[in-house]
Amino acid sequence: MVSVSNDKNSNIASSPPTGFQVIFREFIKDKLALVSLIGIILVTAYVFIMAYLFINVDEIMRVSLRDKYAAPGEKFLLGADQGGRDIFGQLVIGAKNSLEIAIGVTIITSIFGIIVGLICGYFGGWIDNIIMRIIDFFITIPSLMLIIVFVTIIPKYSQYDLVLIISLFAWPGIARLVRSKALSEGKRDYVNASKTLGTNDFIIIFREIMPNLSSILIVETTLNFAGNIGIETVLSYLGFGLPPSTPSLGTLVSYANNPLILQQYWWCWLPAALFILIMMLAINFVGQAFRRAADARQRLG
Amino acid sequence: MWKTVVRRVVIMIPQLFVLSLLVFILAQFMPGDPYSGAITPETDPARIEELREKAGLNDPWYEQYVRWVGNLVQGELGKSYTFQRSVGDLIGEKATNTLWLSLLSVILLYSIAIPLGILAGRYNNSKLDKSIVLYSFISYAIPTFVLGLLFLYLFGYTLRWFPTVGSVSVGLDPGTLAWYWDKIYHLILPASTFAVLGTTGVIQYLRSEIIDAKSLDYVRTARSKGIPMRKVYSKHIFRNSLLPIAAFLGFTITGLLGGSIIIETIFGYPGMGQLFINAILSRDYSVITALVMLYGFLALLGSLLSDIIMSIVDPRIRIE
Amino acid sequence: MFMQIDNLKVHYPVRGGFFNRVIDHVHAVDGISMEFEKGKAYGLVGESGCGKSTTGKSIIGLEKITSGKIIYEGEDVTNKRRDRKSAYNRDIQMIFQDSHSAMNPRKRVQDILAEPIRNFLSLSPQEERKRINELLAIVGMPEDAKLKYPHEFSGGQKQRLGIARAIATNPKVIIADEPVSALDLSVQAQVLNFMKDIQNEYGLTYLFISHDLGVVKHMCEHISIMYKGRFVETGNTKEIFENPQHIYTKRLLSAIPEVSPIGRIERKRERVNVETHYQKEHNLSFDEKGRVFDLVPVTETHFVAASPTIKEVI
Repeated sequence: MVSVSNDKNSNIASSPPTGFQVIFREFIKDKLALVSLIGIILVTAYVFIMAYLFINVDEIMRVSLRDKYAAPGEKFLLGADQGGRDIFGQLVIGAKNSLEIAIGVTIITSIFGIIVGLICGYFGGWIDNIIMRIIDFFITIPSLMLIIVFVTIIPKYSQYDLVLIISLFAWPGIARLVRSKALSEGKRDYVNASKTLGTNDFIIIFREIMPNLSSILIVETTLNFAGNIGIETVLSYLGFGLPPSTPSLGTLVSYANNPLILQQYWWCWLPAALFILIMMLAINFVGQAFRRAADARQRLG
Repeated sequence: MWKTVVRRVVIMIPQLFVLSLLVFILAQFMPGDPYSGAITPETDPARIEELREKAGLNDPWYEQYVRWVGNLVQGELGKSYTFQRSVGDLIGEKATNTLWLSLLSVILLYSIAIPLGILAGRYNNSKLDKSIVLYSFISYAIPTFVLGLLFLYLFGYTLRWFPTVGSVSVGLDPGTLAWYWDKIYHLILPASTFAVLGTTGVIQYLRSEIIDAKSLDYVRTARSKGIPMRKVYSKHIFRNSLLPIAAFLGFTITGLLGGSIIIETIFGYPGMGQLFINAILSRDYSVITALVMLYGFLALLGSLLSDIIMSIVDPRIRIE
Repeated sequence: MFMQIDNLKVHYPVRGGFFNRVIDHVHAVDGISMEFEKGKAYGLVGESGCGKSTTGKSIIGLEKITSGKIIYEGEDVTNKRRDRKSAYNRDIQMIFQDSHSAMNPRKRVQDILAEPIRNFLSLSPQEERKRINELLAIVGMPEDAKLKYPHEFSGGQKQRLGIARAIATNPKVIIADEPVSALDLSVQAQVLNFMKDIQNEYGLTYLFISHDLGVVKHMCEHISIMYKGRFVETGNTKEIFENPQHIYTKRLLSAIPEVSPIGRIERKRERVNVETHYQKEHNLSFDEKGRVFDLVPVTETHFVAASPTIKEVI
């Protein structure tokens, strides 16, 4: 009989094929992703701490014509807009609002998309067929346009409504991806084994299949988070996101719709645009590192 | 083959039905109707009511829906109350501009993406490949409006290489060479914004296709027969990898539609996207419903196109 | 009779045509009957795609049965199979071909072994731990294997863990679906002998599914040969090997490689013979649709599929 105790002395704790150790190794190998991850955490923490503890929104949003278009560095770090309002302060508040909405949308769509996707992929059958048809339809139709229409016809919407409206159009993509993964995972023999061992379907779905998809789910959630920041900011940029009184990264960028500001008072919009750009890149770098960790063939470490 | 195409077209019927129902319901929620605009202090409320009754606005919703679909099919899209013109004409005019923009975008997109994808796949893991991958990665991560604004700021206002607004300069005679050139000149910046953003999918697809093909047996066989690698690429790999790219065209259409709203707003380009935003801002509901319906229809058409091309190119997916 | 399968059929619908309606059925399993006695091993042999795995899966409840009955300990359990926590499901367990994919890669061995215990037996945590240690001892694995993940074991070790899991709840019947065909030849014999030991010790009934007649001969007292979803021949191992009746059985037997070089020419001649015979007699052994005929008795235990008009197909 073959003994398994060969590596008894090597004291290395056993780990599943893709666990935190693998992800950790991947980040150590990919410095760009590591820097991005640390950057995202620090910036997010800074934005939330500043926005909730140190910055007074009313003070930031108070118009002061004396400081109209104040250049960066004079009185304010990043200058002021046409109302003499501090750009840096608006950037922090805007980032907080944008991140909150993106986080909200990501949580709602992930939960809903993952549950629907897992159940459809696992059970299949005609319900799956119908739901997939609906999902395909939702994915095809131009969602940006419909979100704008929704925002327009809802009389008085808050940021919670905005989260719900965006979520309505964002979950089908997640559901479709999760379904296709659950479909192939559900055909694996360990699922059959669980069935013969008396485990019920819902435990199989959420305790057996889902953990095996966890790396893919992490990747998708990360990339969706970036995508959701994109949707919120573009809506606010076009004027259909957060109400104008609530600064968002998008509303800050929309100052650029005025050619004069775009050209001469670049500090009003450029910081927000660059913030979005860098944030999106960083999140995507992190997502790619997760993706490599999830797929053994692509790993660096 | 034909069966698949026909079946795929048949699937579009319920999709169109759901789309029309969705748009109709949304239209019901939009405040006002064609006669609200006509109300002035002098008009008699009874007269308005009479007009409404006559136009069938007091009928049950399903009758209104059927009539609305009937009009839609005949191209009767109603009248825009801000422009006081038929919506059909209005959209037709703007659609030409959007069509030109889309066409140039697609041409630019493929002429950037195909060479880059092939190079990255052929010389994978080289410095060139790594920079192409990084490029496609960055272009994937940048939101459309941020890139558009940066392009506008950089090439439009700072370097003054391209015009910053409109579709054609005033004072040129339509139909002259100068007029056409000026049109294209106006299109370059918005079209390249779109093209840069759209390249990711094509590059990554081509690259991984070619890398996969390299290790396939038919390529190895060709190599072992002594065919030079250059010929293996041109005769075997590219031919197989390029065909499915055609299917991206359908997805590109969907992307172009969504993008046109953003890009046309940024570059002040008078196409359907800008018309939509203006209609929303002026609450011009007949234009909004017509545009939503049209965009939805085109998007469904795009996915239909993709599926059909895919089923022609790849026989394995014909039977569903 | 301990367990009985009566005229089992598993048909899959084939969709097609314009509206994607059901236009035909694939007859994966098309009317087979088996009788099981306690403590014996039954072999199910056939080429890939003949329906032998489907038979096993439908008995344990992984496939829907189109028609037919499964009677276990005198009770009709056909509809109970899919009730996961039933006594039937506890008593009947399965060993999978690919032991690697049959274990959740993210679970430790102790959780993998505990799964049936938690579902079917109500044991205290201490008792559960004791049972897991016991199981590991039975399959000859050290106790520290508990904390490892499946990918840390070799193929033979994983298959032994698979066996440990299958016997965790003291089942009475084990369906082994090609349990050794994914293993190295050197390990195959080891696992097979081990399975035999366990069978003797616990009085298990095996349904042993394989494409390898040699393996089945070694393991089973009774063999059924399956072809296109039906039995072509069924009987004692001795009867099948020494007095094969159906041309398909003969063909399978003649294909078993022999290691000895002596008599190679004759064996080849015989193979060619059987093959020509097979081609010639094909119409006599299968009906006009290519379906295998119903079984007719040869002896009390030995049955062969034959045309009702021609009793002797030899």
